[in-house]
Amino acid sequence: MILELMIALTAGAAMFGTGLYGALSQTNLVMIIMGVELILAAALVNLVAFWRYLHPEEPAAQMFVLIIMAVMAVEMTVGFGIAIARFRSRGSVEMEEARELKG
Amino acid sequence: MTVQMIFLVFFGGAAVWFGIVVFRTHSMVRSALALLFSQTAVGLMFLVMQAEFLGVLQIMMMATEMSVMAIFMVMFMMDPGGMGAMDMTHQKRLSLWAGGIGLAAALAVIWLADWGPIGTDIPGAAQQTADLGRELLGRSMFIFQSVGLTILTAMVAATMVAIAPAKEQPK
Amino acid sequence: MNFLALTLLAPLLSGLTILALRRAPEALALAGAVLGLIGAVGLFIAASDGTVQAVLPGLPDMPLRLVATPLTAVLALVVATVAGFVLTYATGYMAGDPEKARFFGTMLLFVTAMQGLVLAGDWIMLLAAWEMIGFASYLLIGFWHGRAGVASAATRAFLYTRSADLGLYLGAFLLIGVAGTSEISGTLAITGAPALIAGLFLLVAAMGKSAQVPLQDWLQRAMAGPTPVSALLHSATLVAAGAILLIRTAPMLPGGALLAIGIVGGLTAVITGLIALAERDLKRLLAASTASQYGLMLVAIGAGVPIAALLHLIAHAAIKSSLFLGAGVFQHDREGTGLDTLAGAGRARPGIFAGFAIAALALAGIPPLAAFFSKDAIIAAALASTAAPWLLPLALAGSVLTGTYMGRALKVLWTGEAGPARTPVPFMAIGMSVLVALAAGLGFSFGALEHVLGAEIEKPGWIVPVIGLAVGIGGLALGWFFAPARLLGPLLAPAQNGFTVAGGMDGLILRPSLSIAAACEAFEQRLLAAQIGLIRNLGLGAARLVDRGDGQLFKFSIWIGQQSLRLGRGTRSMDTNRIDVAIFGLVRRITAASTRARRLQSGLIHRELALTVIGIGLIVIVLLTAPHYF
Repeated sequence: MILELMIALTAGAAMFGTGLYGALSQTNLVMIIMGVELILAAALVNLVAFWRYLHPEEPAAQMFVLIIMAVMAVEMTVGFGIAIARFRSRGSVEMEEARELKG
Repeated sequence: MTVQMIFLVFFGGAAVWFGIVVFRTHSMVRSALALLFSQTAVGLMFLVMQAEFLGVLQIMMMATEMSVMAIFMVMFMMDPGGMGAMDMTHQKRLSLWAGGIGLAAALAVIWLADWGPIGTDIPGAAQQTADLGRELLGRSMFIFQSVGLTILTAMVAATMVAIAPAKEQPK
Repeated sequence: MNFLALTLLAPLLSGLTILALRRAPEALALAGAVLGLIGAVGLFIAASDGTVQAVLPGLPDMPLRLVATPLTAVLALVVATVAGFVLTYATGYMAGDPEKARFFGTMLLFVTAMQGLVLAGDWIMLLAAWEMIGFASYLLIGFWHGRAGVASAATRAFLYTRSADLGLYLGAFLLIGVAGTSEISGTLAITGAPALIAGLFLLVAAMGKSAQVPLQDWLQRAMAGPTPVSALLHSATLVAAGAILLIRTAPMLPGGALLAIGIVGGLTAVITGLIALAERDLKRLLAASTASQYGLMLVAIGAGVPIAALLHLIAHAAIKSSLFLGAGVFQHDREGTGLDTLAGAGRARPGIFAGFAIAALALAGIPPLAAFFSKDAIIAAALASTAAPWLLPLALAGSVLTGTYMGRALKVLWTGEAGPARTPVPFMAIGMSVLVALAAGLGFSFGALEHVLGAEIEKPGWIVPVIGLAVGIGGLALGWFFAPARLLGPLLAPAQNGFTVAGGMDGLILRPSLSIAAACEAFEQRLLAAQIGLIRNLGLGAARLVDRGDGQLFKFSIWIGQQSLRLGRGTRSMDTNRIDVAIFGLVRRITAASTRARRLQSGLIHRELALTVIGIGLIVIVLLTAPHYF
């Protein structure tokens, strides 16, 4: 059992690392959102692994999973809404050109 | 449990592999699809870990979302097909380091920590769903409601952001 | 006791008051003189019952004493009487003088000193009074010091008498030392060689004060003073001091001293008589006469009969003072005292001349006037003494000469033009007339006086009065009828020069004294100059030192100021260079840091994401490790 936990967690860790790399390295907003999706997926895997192997009697863990899924959806929605607005005003969603907040 | 372990290894690896593919391919559609497959592998992992409801939920939701993302990808990318083979990354080293460190830290925690006793009594799928429902509408009602409100707000906000103001449109 | 005090204090206080106030000098002077006379009368009456003494604090073991024996009381009475009437006379004589106050004040101080001398009971008091009367005489002779020759005459008189005072000092100290006490009556018990030596010393002193040969010249020069001064000092009182000294010490004097006194007195009587005869000035004639009479008194002392000298002294006081007062009146009229000037002055003032004549006849020894009795006593004493062969001829010669020069004076005053009518002089007349009356009538009191003094003179037989009368009339006749030139013959010129020998007293005493004084003055000047130079050098040196110190102080303060300035500059430079630099550097660094920090705000999403990730990592680390350490 413990080894399975380790495996699941390891997979989650790897997905987290990949997602982080992607979120930081991509120029396109959509790709960044995809990276964030991967991170959140990693978090989900970890949560479920913890629920399954450490606290199976606790439904609150699954509740948490639901919440994260909801957050994923909301984040994608708002993100794409912003992307549309940006695309309309600029013509692209490349992050390299987004210097309006420069201080 | 060896079977579970094998399946976990397989699906975990698939999730990780497809996750990497997301960022290595030049084609946008392929990135979206790779992400879809990665999320699906995560859902399958859920199923392996006997969280049936969550697994199914994950697969269904991610399928829809990834499709939408693919559409948006095609809308916004200048080279959706990836034919130009442009390098669309920046601060690559920093990102690699960040990812590497995050991975290393997580692995260190995973493999060095003492996780305690393993739970053995797994409720059945129906039981899980029923418990989840009760949890959702009982103790976590407040969270449930606020999440619902948040989703609503996000939908309204996204819609408002996305809709172009009438005056700005050229006549 | 009270009369003693009155006799001394009345003239003293009035004299001091006059000198202090300088107002109403005549009234104060007469008041003082009258009170002094009352005191002297009372003192005489008290003393005739018994001796009156007063002891005053003085030197240790030598208190000052005042003693009023019948002898001293009589003398005090004489002094007070003559002083009183001379001061009355002086009221008129000095009427027009602007410096009357000084005159009267000094005269009264002299009277005080004379009374002190006469009443002295111990040698210290006597010495002090002796000096005082000499000083008063100097002041009074030189009263008109503005006139030519007066100051030198006063100085001369002072120096002559001063040089003779040495004898008094030596004699007095010898007596005190030998007797062990300063009381005069105590010292009179000495005998032997000290007595002889002391007697000779005292004779020297008497020679000086009483103008005996060879110190007689000063008296004639003293005539430069006002006539009242001459009348009081130089006829009756100051010159009497010498005779008084010898009379009082007569009990002590041994035979040798007495012989010397008698010889000196006799020689003086003759020599000064000749000088008086040759004189061409009335007052100088009278002065020489005074010396001559005192010579006769010394003859009497030398003959061993001091009472005769005392009687003659008293008579002479009244006589000579009235003669001087008369001369003063004539001087007032004729503005001079030369015999040529005064020729016939007597005719203008018959009353004054009558008084003058009475006194002159009295001096010559015409009975029943006063000096007849005293002169007879002197001649009798000379006759009866052991040194009669020396003394008698001298005494007789002196008496003859007395008559001669008095006769001459009378003749000169009577023969000549009378001149215009004269204003009456009441004060002078009163003063003179009383003294003339005394001159005339004192002779009759001599018997009572002898009784009081306790010394009887043996009444001589008929020979002495006859001799005395003969010499008196003879002298008068010679003087009246013959001119001095004929009488003196070859002695005229020397007599007119005062018989000066070897430069006289001038060369022996005056010039050496003055040159010594000048040398002392020069030495003192040099000493003073050296002292001033020393002080100046010291002062200048000290001043230079102080100046240098001040300069150093100044430089030091400047240096401090420069240090302060440097401190200020340093502070300012530190402020501008360090503090400002630090602050501005800080500002610059903050600005640079902010510029660098600004780069974080690139506005690029991926950068901000990266920063967020890094920040999350840091927070995680902190949250995970903090529980271990806290």
